[in-house]
Amino acid sequence: MRNGLSTFWDGRGFDLLLVGIPLAFLIAISGSALVYNVVMSFQEVGMFTLGSFVRPFAGLKNYAEVLSDPQTWPILGNTAIFVVGSLSGQFIVGFALALFFGLKFPGSTYLRGLFLVSWVMPGLVTGALWSWLLAGDFGVVNFFLRSLGIINENIFWRSDPAFALWSVVIANIWFGTSFNMILLSVGLASIPEDLYEAASLDGANVFQRFFTITLPMMRSTIGALLSLGLIFTLQQFDLFAALTDGGPNNASNVAQYWAWQLSFREYDFARGATVSVMMIIVVIAAALFYVRSTRHEVRG
Amino acid sequence: MTRVRNVLLIAVALILAAIYLFPLYWMYVTALKTSTAMFASPPIFAPRNPQWGIFASVWQERHMAGYLWNSLVIATSAVVLIAILGVGCAYVLARYRSVWVDAGLFLVLMLQVLPASLMVTPIFVGFSQLGLLDYPRLATVLAITAKAMPFFVVLVRATFMSVPMELEEAALVDGNSRVGAFFHIVLPLARNGILVSATLIFMQAFGEFVYSKSLIQEVGLQPASVGLNTFMGPNSVDWNRIMGYASIYVTPILGIFVLLQRKIVSGLTSGALK
Amino acid sequence: MQRILPIASAAVMGLALALPSAARAQDPVTITIWTVDKTGQPTPDLAREFDESEPDINVVYREVPFADLMSEALRAFSIGKAPDIFAVDNPDTAMLAANGALLDLTDMIAKSDAIKVENYFDGPMESATWDGHIYGVPKATNTIALYYNKDMFKEAGIKEPPRTWDELIEDARKLNKPDKGVYGVAFSAKASEEGTFQFLPFVQMAGGSYDHINSEGGVKALTFFKTLLDEGLASPDTVSRTQWASTATFNAGNAAMAISGPWELNRMADEADFDWGVALLPVPEEGAQRSSAMGDYNWVIFKTTKHPEAAFKALEFFANQDKDLFQRFGQLPARRDIDIPPTGNDKKDAALQVFLEQMKYAKPRGPHPEWPKISKAIQTALQAALAGGATPQEALDQAAKTIDGIID
Repeated sequence: MRNGLSTFWDGRGFDLLLVGIPLAFLIAISGSALVYNVVMSFQEVGMFTLGSFVRPFAGLKNYAEVLSDPQTWPILGNTAIFVVGSLSGQFIVGFALALFFGLKFPGSTYLRGLFLVSWVMPGLVTGALWSWLLAGDFGVVNFFLRSLGIINENIFWRSDPAFALWSVVIANIWFGTSFNMILLSVGLASIPEDLYEAASLDGANVFQRFFTITLPMMRSTIGALLSLGLIFTLQQFDLFAALTDGGPNNASNVAQYWAWQLSFREYDFARGATVSVMMIIVVIAAALFYVRSTRHEVRG
Repeated sequence: MTRVRNVLLIAVALILAAIYLFPLYWMYVTALKTSTAMFASPPIFAPRNPQWGIFASVWQERHMAGYLWNSLVIATSAVVLIAILGVGCAYVLARYRSVWVDAGLFLVLMLQVLPASLMVTPIFVGFSQLGLLDYPRLATVLAITAKAMPFFVVLVRATFMSVPMELEEAALVDGNSRVGAFFHIVLPLARNGILVSATLIFMQAFGEFVYSKSLIQEVGLQPASVGLNTFMGPNSVDWNRIMGYASIYVTPILGIFVLLQRKIVSGLTSGALK
Repeated sequence: MQRILPIASAAVMGLALALPSAARAQDPVTITIWTVDKTGQPTPDLAREFDESEPDINVVYREVPFADLMSEALRAFSIGKAPDIFAVDNPDTAMLAANGALLDLTDMIAKSDAIKVENYFDGPMESATWDGHIYGVPKATNTIALYYNKDMFKEAGIKEPPRTWDELIEDARKLNKPDKGVYGVAFSAKASEEGTFQFLPFVQMAGGSYDHINSEGGVKALTFFKTLLDEGLASPDTVSRTQWASTATFNAGNAAMAISGPWELNRMADEADFDWGVALLPVPEEGAQRSSAMGDYNWVIFKTTKHPEAAFKALEFFANQDKDLFQRFGQLPARRDIDIPPTGNDKKDAALQVFLEQMKYAKPRGPHPEWPKISKAIQTALQAALAGGATPQEALDQAAKTIDGIID
């Protein structure tokens, strides 16, 4: 016989408990922090009023200010370049590596696994490492490029406005490629072999098989990967801090770093919060996309 | 024929790995160089006079034992807390397919949208009002938990997706309660995926920086990432010593990773990351 | 059993986390001090000595990286956890004072034997004053001048360090050896307070100022900087490197001149294996007015302190140590009543005399309560002209527009 409480170990209550506690925890910490940012974007925030919640209401003034700031559009443009550059770099290199290691040869699993070390390194160490690799006068990357005859003069990766953003993109691609590769490997492994065999019998070549079987079969993996990747990319902070500090002349500044600079370099907390809220909107779109892509999942 | 193919493929794989892992090699080699060798042109790839003493001297001078202990305490506590909270959440989100589950998943993802650098001020203010800042490492653990749990849930949920529902249903038919079925049937089947995800989260928490930096003011309680940051400061010219510090910091993680590599990768490929 | 283990270990872990800070003993009076100083710089030592000399006062010291100094202090202050004593970068003093965050020290200083206003140089004292009240005590002072590599000068046949901007450019052209990785001059135009610190003196020498940054003088100064970068006489990294990192290239023999401050003296004496000297900053043309930057920190006490007397006692103790500041830590006391005895190192002693001379022309930045925003506008102009392809006039016009909006 069931009484009211038994539902918590033998019914719907069990599910609610399991999902409720962590969600409550997340909402208490991350949720209230998000709300705090949203509220702040509609307020006038003085330098020393961080501790209180009640502040003069500013309406849309902060938004109007951010949108009319001459720095805004270039920085949003950089953000787009950073996201697209990082994601496509990580994805294409990751996919190529996944296909290569999918060829199955002795040691392939082991070697593939080794790549993942780039992803488990602390962000700060990765940043320090790349700022040393990409140093202008003594950097080893410049040395390789010179030896290969690709460049004649050193590139000042971190100081040249034409390259600063790309130096962060390169470091970020290195950081994220291995994660992409592993996820894509998993997706590739789950495609039944007989599909390929059938296609070969029908006379499809390598490329046709890739586009008619591999890509469609991996649709949900790719969707999940790209939306998770977008969220991760928009959170990338350590690399900017270690490599370029957003400079020179904002050439490598992106929304998430700028929002932080507004808050903690110019102490303009309201505008910093406003930029964050604008970012949240983008991420909502990515999260929706991720949830949609899980629709294609099959259990088993 | 397959032999030739295999040898060729292995050679290509080794070259790819060498290129990809070169930055790590460069970290170790730089640490072993003298200050002049560091800036030599062309760069020296195998130092003739390796300064092995640098590790001991950086270890001692930067008080790394304390920093690494704090990193270990913080990362371990965070992983334990994340596992306790996250496994159940992932299980429920994998078990059902409904609008509510979609909403829950969406919420979980949404709550980690902002980088830690923008979450830290509200968290700092909130924690201070709760008096949590008097226990700075605990405060950091809670913040890291909130930050990393969504990703853990996404990973572990995929693991549960690969556990056949029929097994659980059979257990229920046999008279198990939901709790019993969860602990005796589902959890053991998903153990590998959970351990793998936890290991990955541990490695991330071990390198966490932004929260630790702002929430822990007492030097004796700070983790190694903050120690590295203090060391680098704006004066990053002692590259050999910085790389020495970095080497000591990441070698344990890399060691664990290489040792458990087979388990991690098979855990991932058997469904943890579907 | 296995399942209980993680929970149990979590509980143990939680205890371990909670214990260390809860178990701290309660002393009669505890004051906290935050500065950027690391081991080997003044505060850690002075704080310990003060702690030992006062049995009733317990001192807790925290080192904060320069980049986080203000944000950490603001955040802590807004939740009532500010330190008692804080060393604020001098141009930021006005901001804290104008926002009512600091304890007014005017009366305490009037009664003090150790701290007397007339003993301090005017520039540093001006930076510690807001609206007629004194909110800070200069911790030390510094300025910038021109370091030069005498060996390289000799080799290039240059007898004297440059006295004007034109001479500096001319000398830099002779000393520049791109094939050997040697630049004519090293300085910092980074997008941080350091960039403003190095650039403003040149604006002031040419007759400009921060509130008329796009005047002829400002444009002339920025054009001078731009020439150095455009001709490759300074490393492209100038726009992203700190002063400390820039001067490191001078110490390593990769630059023939460097614009930097006395904080370099100890490191240079240790590292540079060549003959070097220091000269006054070159002026726009012969006979033009001199000017220089004024750096370093002010000791301030946050208004939230529960122990103002103990905190002020610490400031008095620090002021009493000013006489040994240079010998012990290589920093210049902001005091006109202190004569610094020779160190015995000829190069350092000669350099010191130049810095003391240069110090006479040092001007504080501001003071203005919105200094960080003004400074940001100047940094943006620097970066736009040196790295962004804007002309000096365009860049400074934009900066002037921003600054006018802040000042009015």
